[in-house]
Amino acid sequence: MPKVVITGAGFITSIGNTETAVVSSLRQLRHGIELYEPFSDTKIPVNLTAPIKGFKTLSTDPEDWTYPSDYKIRRDILRSLPPHGLYAYCAMQQAVANAGLKPEEVSNEDTGIYTASAGSAGNLYYNLERMHKLGIQKCSPLGITASIAGTLNFNLVSAYKILGSSTGFVSACASSGHALGCAFDEIILGRQKRMFVVGAEDGDFASILPFAGMRALTSSGNPDTASRPFDKDRDGFVGTGGAVVLVLENEETALARGAKIRAEFTSWGQASDGYNVAISHPNGDGLARAMANALKHARLSAKDIDYINAHAPSTPIGDRSEIKALKQIFCNAHPKISSTKALTGHGLSLASILEAGICVLAIDKGFTPGSAHIQNLDPEAQGLNIIRQTEATGPETILTNSSGFGGANVSLLFRKHG
Amino acid sequence: MKSPYRNLKIKLLKKNIYRRENIRHIRHLSFMEIPLQRKLTQEEESLLKDSLKRCSEETVSAAIAYQEFGSVEQVPIIVEGIAERFLEPDMRPVLKQGSDNLRIFEDLGIDSLTMVEIVMLVEEILNISIENEELRDLRTIGDVKTFIDCKVRGLPLPENRTHISVEQIYEVMPHASPFLFLQEATIQGDTITGLYRISGDEFFLEGHFKGNPIFPASIMIEALGQLGVLYLLTAKHESIEKAVRSDSIYFTSCDGIRAQRICKPGDVLRLQMKPKRIRHPLAIFEGNITTETEKVAFAEEIALTFDYVTF
Repeated sequence: MPKVVITGAGFITSIGNTETAVVSSLRQLRHGIELYEPFSDTKIPVNLTAPIKGFKTLSTDPEDWTYPSDYKIRRDILRSLPPHGLYAYCAMQQAVANAGLKPEEVSNEDTGIYTASAGSAGNLYYNLERMHKLGIQKCSPLGITASIAGTLNFNLVSAYKILGSSTGFVSACASSGHALGCAFDEIILGRQKRMFVVGAEDGDFASILPFAGMRALTSSGNPDTASRPFDKDRDGFVGTGGAVVLVLENEETALARGAKIRAEFTSWGQASDGYNVAISHPNGDGLARAMANALKHARLSAKDIDYINAHAPSTPIGDRSEIKALKQIFCNAHPKISSTKALTGHGLSLASILEAGICVLAIDKGFTPGSAHIQNLDPEAQGLNIIRQTEATGPETILTNSSGFGGANVSLLFRKHG
Repeated sequence: MKSPYRNLKIKLLKKNIYRRENIRHIRHLSFMEIPLQRKLTQEEESLLKDSLKRCSEETVSAAIAYQEFGSVEQVPIIVEGIAERFLEPDMRPVLKQGSDNLRIFEDLGIDSLTMVEIVMLVEEILNISIENEELRDLRTIGDVKTFIDCKVRGLPLPENRTHISVEQIYEVMPHASPFLFLQEATIQGDTITGLYRISGDEFFLEGHFKGNPIFPASIMIEALGQLGVLYLLTAKHESIEKAVRSDSIYFTSCDGIRAQRICKPGDVLRLQMKPKRIRHPLAIFEGNITTETEKVAFAEEIALTFDYVTF
């Protein structure tokens, strides 16, 4: 069976817009959370997000946006991008450069792209409102392609002239995990030699605030402690946006072009809770089965795992389900565990690939990220090896978990290559 | 016809259920009568400027003059200014050369979606409405300016144009490469215009002349003749009674030929032919060739014989 390897990555995240910045934030446990100006209205019961620094994308008109001058974007590309499309366009540029891909290696029949985003709620709202107020013919011609779920796909396929497979994945906070998993399968099945996988979210007013209705967001006003997965007093997540791109390649293809292999993407597993539309299974059954499937396909046992990057978003219910799931699978093993959402915030569709990206960096650069902001460990988590500080040695074998609405669970397994 | 949703829409608007403030800005839409015959208020002017943000100062002043006092002579400035705003920066100098012959897609890279963006803003600023069908035959910046100028002045729109693509030319013409000197053509009224880019790869340039490739004047006249052939095969003309047989058309004579400028690889020949008299089996045309800016050649008369298809 062919092996899948990771040969490139791009990061536009709340904790850094380059790989170096992300690694440095993880090593020093530096978070990206801030008081968010659009939430400043006292009627809004939420105060914080983990915004993207160096980008200004609040305007509905992309030509008003500002972004780092390293990125040059033509108007005919920019005009159809939602904010997360801009982040993803930039993260793609990083990933292509990082993987050392030539234009003909990006645009050929053997190279595809899978994306994950929830679409742009803000753009959808803006465009529908314009349509209602000003008339049907006043809809921007690209209002749809900049708004609906799929926007990330449409824009990146055309901007990067992708000729292989392409589609988008929508399973809420497990989306980019599914995108990675299905891209893995696409390579294993021999359909594609190389896949870009992209996760991105706007992380703005319209994409984050609706979670307040579900009481899923923290009401904390203190950026330094608000996101605290596994803490007994955690009270909800901090939303974030941004984009992460990983380049997956058939090992043979990567070696043939002399690519630097960052990590091996060994296997993945998924399973569903079949329980509740929004609440995760109280015993974490779906997630436990997803982890078991990933281990089974890799022909590994729980004892082989050195580190787990947990989904734990810092919600009371979500973290507890995952603790139960981890205890089911790792009852006799004690892998290190942390949730990097304490630093990054929860990126929704972006979350899974952001954390997969962090795992690749941990393997490649040799560090194990700590679980920040825990003041009082949740007693339920007693017995799990949750590390509070970043360790200077890297893991060899990693599981990273994601769970989305409807009880969709994905677990991805990465190993050091060689 | 009234839209079946009209009543529902009015109800919704009355209830104002889509209203939301302060979060997302909705661009101003002008419902006012134009011209106002008065100065724009400060608020009206700032809304206009907001709509025209990223347009040149000149465009904004022209739009103010148009909205205030209906200065129709400002229309070409407004239209060009709006088009310029939607162009990629590297294309702006091309537009600024000021040629009305610039083709919207081929020369300026304006695709149909960008065209819709331009049209929406032009509609808003000039307070006119443009139907999609009306856009179909607009191929050059000149076409767009003329079309909109006619619209705002209430003049009849220019005659319909028929565009003949390079594929269609290859299909209908009896000629083929390497002896076909037309790359696209348009018929408007009784005039046919065509385009030929001298690539430098033409076989005869090797010997015409040694180390000095100059497009032969005789071939220019040939190209005009070919445009006449295309006219006979595709145009509707009262004196062309039936379909013309493509293998029946031959050169008979030419008269009053003057060549005014030499042309070299890289030049684009803009050819034009207009029938002076058509009576089976003879068609007599007047023709001329220009580059973007200069006269190249003139033919007082080019005569072709032709025959009809018989069944």
